[in-house]
Parts: sequence; C-alpha cells; structure tokens
Amino acid sequence: MFLKVQLPWNVIISAENLDARGLMLQRSILIRLLDDFACKKATKDLGYFLAVMTLESIGEGKVRQHSGDVLFPVVFSGITFKLFRGEILDGVVHKVLKHGVFLRCGPVENVYLSNLKMADYKYVPGENPVFLNDKLSKIGKDVTVRFMVIGTKWLEVEREFQALVSLDGDFLGPVS
Amino acid sequence: MAEKGGKGSSVPSKAVKSSLKSATSNGGKTSAKGKDDGSGKPKKGRKVQFDSEGLGDGIFGFSSGGKADSLLNKLNLGKGGKGDKTGKAAKSSAPKEPLPLELRVEQELPKHAKCLMDCEATEILQGIQEQMVILSEDPTIKIPVSFDRGLQYAKNGIHYADPASVRRALEPLTQYGVTEGEICVIGNVCPETPDEVFALVPSLKAKKSKLAEPLKDVLAELVKLKKAT
Repeated sequence: MFLKVQLPWNVIISAENLDARGLMLQRSILIRLLDDFACKKATKDLGYFLAVMTLESIGEGKVRQHSGDVLFPVVFSGITFKLFRGEILDGVVHKVLKHGVFLRCGPVENVYLSNLKMADYKYVPGENPVFLNDKLSKIGKDVTVRFMVIGTKWLEVEREFQALVSLDGDFLGPVS
Repeated sequence: MAEKGGKGSSVPSKAVKSSLKSATSNGGKTSAKGKDDGSGKPKKGRKVQFDSEGLGDGIFGFSSGGKADSLLNKLNLGKGGKGDKTGKAAKSSAPKEPLPLELRVEQELPKHAKCLMDCEATEILQGIQEQMVILSEDPTIKIPVSFDRGLQYAKNGIHYADPASVRRALEPLTQYGVTEGEICVIGNVCPETPDEVFALVPSLKAKKSKLAEPLKDVLAELVKLKKAT
C-alpha cells in the first residue's frame, strides 16, 4: 500500500555549501534532503521511500561545534510503499521453483508464494516450469497474481522487505 | 496438511506454520481450533520456515513470535480471541474453515502517515516523473531507486482515472466504521460485488449486515467511474 508520510528530518549542510543568498541555501537543503532520502532506500516503519513531495518547513539552523556544518531540522512529506499483513496486492512472477514462486510487487523483489499456499496448483516441470491447476489456470513467469500478504520481514542489512503470501481465499490467483 | 480436507487450509499463525511444514505432530486440530491458550504451545520464538522437501532450511525465516506476541494476538483475534479490538464475537472455527488474516493497517501505521489508494499514488508519482526530466539534468539530484518500480506498479494496478471521484464514492463507507486502510484496499482491488469485498477484506465481515446495502451502492458508483476511463 502506498503511504503519504510527513517526516521530520535533519539536513546537514557543510560550510562550503552555505550561501548568503537565501534561495541558494534552500536549494542546498533540498538537494541534500533528496540525496539523504534516496540513500535511505527504506525503513522498517515506513517501507520503501519513493519520492519527496513537498518541503513543509525548514527550521532554524544549528551550527555543529566541531565540523562547522549547519544542521537544519526540516519537515517534509513524501510517498512510501509498504506491505501490510492482510493486504491484497498484485504481483508478477519472476522465478518459478519446485516448491513455490517468487513475485515482484512494486519495489519488493522477494515476495514468496509457497506451493502449500496455492491449493490445487501442481508443479509442472520443464524448460518453462509453471504451476497448473485442474482448470488449467497457470502460474508461471510474468503472470500477474493477486495474493494476500500473510507475513512480512524487514532485513536490516539489505534494507529491504521480504513477504510471504497466500492464495488461500476467494478471488485470489492469476489475474488476466 | 492431510488433516485439512478442504481448500484454503491456512489458519493464521500456527496453521501457517503447520501448513508450511508438511507434517505437524499434533498441530492440525489444535492449530485449527485457534485458541492459543488452549493448545499449550509457547508463543515465544515461533518461526515459520520452509524446511521440508529439499527447499533448504530457513530460506525464509519469518518469526511470528518474539516481540511479535502482539502480532500473534492480532492474528488470533481473527479466531475470536479475547481483547478483540474489532469487537467481534468469539468464533470457534470449524477445523477445516480457513480463518482469514485481517488487515489492521491503522494499528501498524506510524504517526503522520496516511494510506493512499494506488490511483492517488499514481497521480502524485506521475506528476513527479514529469519533473524528473528537469531534475535529472542536474547530476547532484538523486532519485530513489524504488521510484520507477513504485510508479510502474501503481500505473499497472489502476482502474480509475479520477482518484478524487473514487475517494468521494468510497467516503460514505466511513460512517459505517470502515477504516482508511480498508477503503484503500477496496479502491485498489476494484471489486465487482459485495461478496468480493467481504472475501478480500475479512475484517469487514463483522459489519456485513450493516454494510451490504451501502456497499452495493458504492460499488455501482465505482463501476461507473471505471467505465468512464
């Protein structure tokens, strides 16, 4: 689900980027903020950082004693993407294994759907392996599948989420 | 999963575990009963792992215990445990009945965060993308790596051209206690019937009697908006 978030942030401007002209200073703050935001990639609470929308306010700068940098507390709004348990989403299959498939859903690469969670679908091996059910509905590479999220996991080192999903329930499965 | 005859054998938390491990010692019936307290199983440190049939140990290790005791409680709330925030009556589920995992976005949302429907997000992200051409000329400006993926996902999933109208159409549901998160899921899923809504958003089932009629009207309105695109 996409989230609109309002976040406080501390932007540090090094001394050489400080400019007497107010607009250039604002520009430096904004560029620094965009830079920090892009580097962050994702957080556990807010999900994947997608874009900064608006800079709501810039607070008073505080000089840092030892470096001469100035710290500006800012508040900005941005868009993030996060998976929630119980949510219904669409994902595209990018890897088919014997015991399940991996899907991609937005910025999340590792969404796993186990064969145990796709009732009635059987693995059909081959050059392009797929999961097939009695009604010849196929779950294979590049197929879009609607699923329900049953668990998520935040990986601190990689700064990304993994998700475990299920097709158990009505109206879930491959979508045309 | 032999103990579960029907489809949809997943039961939150314990049955997720039990279904992922192909055999559970006596997990089947007790897990399906859904009363954590009665089973005698410890809540702490429970992991959901795929370790059967050569998939390899712990490719995906999801801890559903530990500090997520509250997670377990939330999952178990669907089975009608105590302290149910939705106020649902306790259910003793039939062993073969799937107990749906419920959406509880509001409880997991941080402060100052608001849910957006995919169509709303698309509108915002497309606006930013239009400015991207100018922004990308400046090498000092960095764009988040997830931006493109996020935009592509949003664009692929949308069914409506005018997010504001969709929001207005769904607004009446709030007076029946439908949360923002649930409204966003309905807006994203583009359901055609109330049955689809209750199947995909099981947290609304408690209000089914109140919601059924207004939901029909809302969905009819959404269908018009969809056709207009």
